[in-house]
Amino acid sequence: MLVEIAQFLTILSTGLFFLNFSFSFLFDSKDQHIANLVSKIYTHSSLLLVTSFLIYVWLAVSDNFSVLYIAQHSNSNLPIFYKITSIWSAHEGSMFLWILFLVLWGALFNFVTDNLQDLKVKSMGIISIIIVGFLLFLLLTSNPFETILPIAPANGADINPVLQDPALAIHPPFLYMGYIGFVIAFAHAIAFMIEGNSSVKWEALVRTWSIAAWVFLTIGITLGSWWAYYELGWGGYWFWDPVENVALMPWLAATAFIHSISVSSKSSSLRIWTILLSIIVFSLSLFGAFIVRSGIIDSVHSFANDPERGLYLLAFIGILIIGSMTIFSSRLSMLTSGSAIKTFSKESFISINNIFFGVLVFSTMLGILYPLIYESIYEQKISVGAPFYNAIFVPMTVLASIFLFFSVEARWQRKFVIRSLINSMSISALISGSLVFSAYKIFNITGTWELISIFAGSLIIIRYLFVIWDYLLNNKYSNPFSVIAHMGLGMLMISIALNNELSSERALNININQSDMYQGYEIKLSDLKLVNNPNHDSVQAIFTLTDPLGNNFYLKPEKRKYFARGQITTETDIYVTLLKDIYITIGDQLKDGSWIVNIQFNYFIRWIWFSAIMMSFSGIMLIVSINRAKR
Amino acid sequence: MIKKLCLVILLSCNFLFADSLYEFTNLENEKRFYNLIKEIRCPKCTSGSLASSNAPVSEDIKLKIVELIKEGKSDSEIKKYIVNRFGNEVLYDPGFDKGTYFLWIAPISILLLALTTFFFRRKI
Amino acid sequence: MKFILRMFVIILPIALISFFYLYINDDDYYPGADYRNYNLPQFELNELYSQSPISNKDIQGTYLINVWASWCITCRVEHGFLVKLSNKNIPIMGINYKDDRDDAINWINKFGDPYKLIIHDFKGSLALDMGVTGAPETFLVSNGEVLVHYRGEVNTMIWQDVFTPVINKYELFK
Repeated sequence: MLVEIAQFLTILSTGLFFLNFSFSFLFDSKDQHIANLVSKIYTHSSLLLVTSFLIYVWLAVSDNFSVLYIAQHSNSNLPIFYKITSIWSAHEGSMFLWILFLVLWGALFNFVTDNLQDLKVKSMGIISIIIVGFLLFLLLTSNPFETILPIAPANGADINPVLQDPALAIHPPFLYMGYIGFVIAFAHAIAFMIEGNSSVKWEALVRTWSIAAWVFLTIGITLGSWWAYYELGWGGYWFWDPVENVALMPWLAATAFIHSISVSSKSSSLRIWTILLSIIVFSLSLFGAFIVRSGIIDSVHSFANDPERGLYLLAFIGILIIGSMTIFSSRLSMLTSGSAIKTFSKESFISINNIFFGVLVFSTMLGILYPLIYESIYEQKISVGAPFYNAIFVPMTVLASIFLFFSVEARWQRKFVIRSLINSMSISALISGSLVFSAYKIFNITGTWELISIFAGSLIIIRYLFVIWDYLLNNKYSNPFSVIAHMGLGMLMISIALNNELSSERALNININQSDMYQGYEIKLSDLKLVNNPNHDSVQAIFTLTDPLGNNFYLKPEKRKYFARGQITTETDIYVTLLKDIYITIGDQLKDGSWIVNIQFNYFIRWIWFSAIMMSFSGIMLIVSINRAKR
Repeated sequence: MIKKLCLVILLSCNFLFADSLYEFTNLENEKRFYNLIKEIRCPKCTSGSLASSNAPVSEDIKLKIVELIKEGKSDSEIKKYIVNRFGNEVLYDPGFDKGTYFLWIAPISILLLALTTFFFRRKI
Repeated sequence: MKFILRMFVIILPIALISFFYLYINDDDYYPGADYRNYNLPQFELNELYSQSPISNKDIQGTYLINVWASWCITCRVEHGFLVKLSNKNIPIMGINYKDDRDDAINWINKFGDPYKLIIHDFKGSLALDMGVTGAPETFLVSNGEVLVHYRGEVNTMIWQDVFTPVINKYELFK
């Protein structure tokens, strides 16, 4: 009964959103009545959809297994939190969540924006039709409201135990909020091109929304990396897996976009870049959805392989991308930029930045598609993985960061000027050089690209330290968000380099009450415990570790067997210190009763995520600052 | 009780006998091993390297790699050994041959092209 | 300059979308099938029943090699089809993969024996040399050369679409 109501509400909202789209484009958007009407219809449609989703949540929480999707992905033994998160653990439900967020972003924008604000009506219309496109996809090919009747199962299948994890549960919502948030910029860019009014500064309207979406995306990706690290058991944090790449591409384009939009929202430069990027970012978000859900590329993340869904999404994305690019193409003359950019002004550095990010997006896309292309031509399979991506990303990031380093010196709308040879730049270079030298001599860091990355990263951090110094001592203005975010980038580069160079691991063989040594630490298997949990049994190995100074601490990795599917998982335990993680898992048991113990020392890994948090933090602060300035 | 549970877990692991660990004569070889298993794909998994997989065939290949390292084989010889049995697609490095020239050369070429175009136009 | 941008910006997405469309629709494709030719690796193992040593010289001509195990559930499903093939005089050699000898023999006694002989590959060394990733997997071998390597269950459809074309091409089993 309830599920039929939810489905009905969803169908109804589809119709209303479509109505909204029609009104916004058929009638004069400058008319007060039309503007208010469109806004109202959007509000009502979104209320219908939100109610439908809330009913669905209730269905999941109340163990209504007559709903096929809930029966497949939830179980009465799950804690309530995981019953809710099971909704987005697979295709149909996560699509529903995607649409919910789409609706909510639009609703929030609708609510806080004056109805007569330029472009509002048209952009709400565009958002509405995009929602309709996804709702039809949901209802026609991926219906979460399907029922198993007349006899509903007594209980659901347990969801993959690997999915019963807090970080993993919130990772998709953050990501979706990120992907979808860019619909606001996209809709405005299209509306702007359609309206043809060249005096509207649509960039200023959507800037904070885009930064917010970027923050969500950054956090979402970081959560995924962190989760993979502690859950998957082998200590990696990024695998260049196709689905990770497909999340990375919108992030790269989005980063370029928020830089580009900061320029074009205030001046007449970079307008073409900004519009192009707004289309590219949103298209890449949709492209990501397509790749993950069509089954076209194998990946640990892939949802079910279904060509019908793939074709629909492909058509939908095709219309969207080709349509918006056609509009862009035809309006190109209207988008003539302002005055020429001065050599090595800040604007020109941001253009260069756009180029770098654009090439990285292209390279990632190439890497994802290449195996498919190669196979089509040569009828043979190849894989493109970390060696390729590292070879492209590391040198280009280093090069881009050198440009960043110089850009700090650059002026807005003015040429690049160096007054004297001894300045913050040359001193930074000197200090960075000495840091690298000491890294090489004292800490024995020998990897070429690691050293280069440390040099580039230090260049940036030290240069910005000078900026802070200048601000504190001479009251010289600086953009604090840029300072924090870019220092975060510098830290990211250094952390990745050090993590790569210094980390190590080994597979030890330890029997109970025995110990072994690794990296100056004594590792003793003190105890083996049996733990019974509601949905799994586990063997817990208790290790006593003693550091070189004689301090003891305990690590308790486990091997678990889940009842519902008989799945066996390995749970890691990690000891976190400032500079490194000590990471332990147990492998198999040998004939003599001893255990294989995998121990890893992962250096600076928390610093990698901390850098990402720094960047997100600067984004949040920027939004707060912009909003304050507006009042 | 623990023994019984271990046995249960053990048997369900499908990995009946591990009679050797990864033993190396020096640290350099150990590092080589851990790097190699990151660069070689697990042939059975939809995605992931040998390092990230504990499928039986992955374990077998890892043990074989240890053996080959002990025999003094170089990294490229080891990779060739595995490619001969499991195909090119088991390497994450697509190699540099006429089928992949475009892959490796396109990114840097486009970067240079874009940067030079930019420096000679400076209007966008 | 702008003209190039205009064209590029429309053509690239169209090219991408078309590529994906064609790729999705490419149906007649078995991901488990590998048609690369290579020589059957040298081996020296024991036969499952007799426990006497066998090696390459003991298997000649054209035949199938089927990798199976008593712990492999899909092998159970596939087994009936293999019995059918052997009744049609297709010679099949078995590789018993990482299996306990008693378990394997009991399994065969229970479900039938389509094999001319069974190689007991307890450690999986021959399987590793042949690029086996699990069970069941089936090879078509002729004169010491592997012509087809199929990963997964062989049934009527697979036999027709994957193996038969190669058999006809080389006019095997005549």
